[in-house]
Amino acid sequence: MKYLLFFALIISVLPGCIGDDIIMDETPEAIRILNPLDTIGVGESYQFEAMFTNNIGAEENRPIIWTSSEPTVLTIDAGGLATAVTKGVAVVTAAVELADKPPVITQLSLVVDEETVVSNNDKSGVLKSTSSYNLQGNFTITENNGSLTISLSDDYQASTALPGLYVYLGNNPSSVSGAHEIGAVQVFNGAHRYTVSGVGINDYQYLLYWCKPFNVKVGEGEIE
Amino acid sequence: MFRRNIIFILVFVFFSTTVFAGGGWPQPKGWGFFKLSQWWLISDQHYTDSGQIDPNTTSGLFNTSLYAEYGLTNRLTGIAYVPFFSRAYLNNTISGTTGETLIPGEAINSFGDTDLSLKYGLTLNKPVAVSATLTFGLPLGNDNGGMAGALQTGDGEFNQMLLIDAGSGFQVGKLAAYANGYAGFNNRTNGFSDEFRFGIEAGATFANNKITAIGRLYGIKSFKNGDLPSERSNSTSVFANNSEHVTFAPELAYNINEKWGVSATYGVALSGRLIFASPSYSFGVFYKLTR
Repeated sequence: MKYLLFFALIISVLPGCIGDDIIMDETPEAIRILNPLDTIGVGESYQFEAMFTNNIGAEENRPIIWTSSEPTVLTIDAGGLATAVTKGVAVVTAAVELADKPPVITQLSLVVDEETVVSNNDKSGVLKSTSSYNLQGNFTITENNGSLTISLSDDYQASTALPGLYVYLGNNPSSVSGAHEIGAVQVFNGAHRYTVSGVGINDYQYLLYWCKPFNVKVGEGEIE
Repeated sequence: MFRRNIIFILVFVFFSTTVFAGGGWPQPKGWGFFKLSQWWLISDQHYTDSGQIDPNTTSGLFNTSLYAEYGLTNRLTGIAYVPFFSRAYLNNTISGTTGETLIPGEAINSFGDTDLSLKYGLTLNKPVAVSATLTFGLPLGNDNGGMAGALQTGDGEFNQMLLIDAGSGFQVGKLAAYANGYAGFNNRTNGFSDEFRFGIEAGATFANNKITAIGRLYGIKSFKNGDLPSERSNSTSVFANNSEHVTFAPELAYNINEKWGVSATYGVALSGRLIFASPSYSFGVFYKLTR
């Protein structure tokens, strides 16, 4: 009898220990040009900036290799400073070398013409549920005076069944570690907006909805 | 809410272990039943609001409790469920890519929510034993533990529950058996939804009265007349207000002698809304006080 009680005590105490949950959070490395341009005026220069995110979606400072497909039209130096030479079209490539993998690249087609035209940077996306909880709707993101406005449209719906539903901007759809927390969701139906300061419009790839208390992903919208 | 469910599960498990008490049967005057138990549930998934199963960070709940019922009169039985040690925890979240700890786990230890009840026998010495039980749920646990308030050992609300039990004992061949059913209303406060509670169970004792096997099916239906779960992010239980479930919980009890015994219970929600979707286990040692 005493052995039975001892065994019962042991098997009932052990489950009280904190364990580890391992999440599969690998995501493809990516590089993005943060300040794209549509057209650059002949004789003008423009400093491109790019961000590299690693296999968990975290920003990482890596050497970026800048090249121009048409150096006679547009030159670009190692630091990303482009100079328009003559009218035409050139493709700007930003690349980061990876160990044991092909380099990760991004490309931008740039017109060289009479005057410089900054790209329309507005973004949009569609929210979709990745869980059994309802999440849907379209959204747009605009940048004004250094802050972002994220506008959810009339068709937006989110489940009210979760305690602690939060919205994030992130670069890893499988994790909000390192993501920018916008805040707790207060509106669960219909159009509304978030204003986010200190974030660039090209800094993040996803709008993420997460149940924060239990680290449950509810849904996502890829920013396009 | 979830915490409340757990307490209910525990109470009902203990009720049934006595076989001759609980259900529609109050304790005879001066008789009692006392049980020291360990109960635990570990779950990495839950029933969502649509009844489907989704994953979550592994969460554990762990109770050490004392359950006691004592016959104040032949009709009136006092009952107490006291979880004097309750532990809730969340696992660490580890990156499978880098091995880094992304979100550290956490745990709280505290006293748990306590139930005090009075059971009154509406019939005595009748073929069908009917009783009414009034339970007061005292919010003595922690309803807002951990960094995000997600760890609870109590729900933070004072509830009053009235259950009506009806049970009958009978013979199946040479086996002494019983069946019991109940239904009741749980009035909850502090923004929690009220609940309809129901259940049936049947048990039989065999092997020279050494072993009692019990099968039970019980559930909770929320009236959904309280706050939305999304409105209770820092003050609700594991998966919020308005949870529902239908649970199957078989139990085996071994009577060591006329006074002492041990029991083990396994419980699993067959369906649910906003509640863990993993089995619970308990093990207990009980003592029967007779005159």
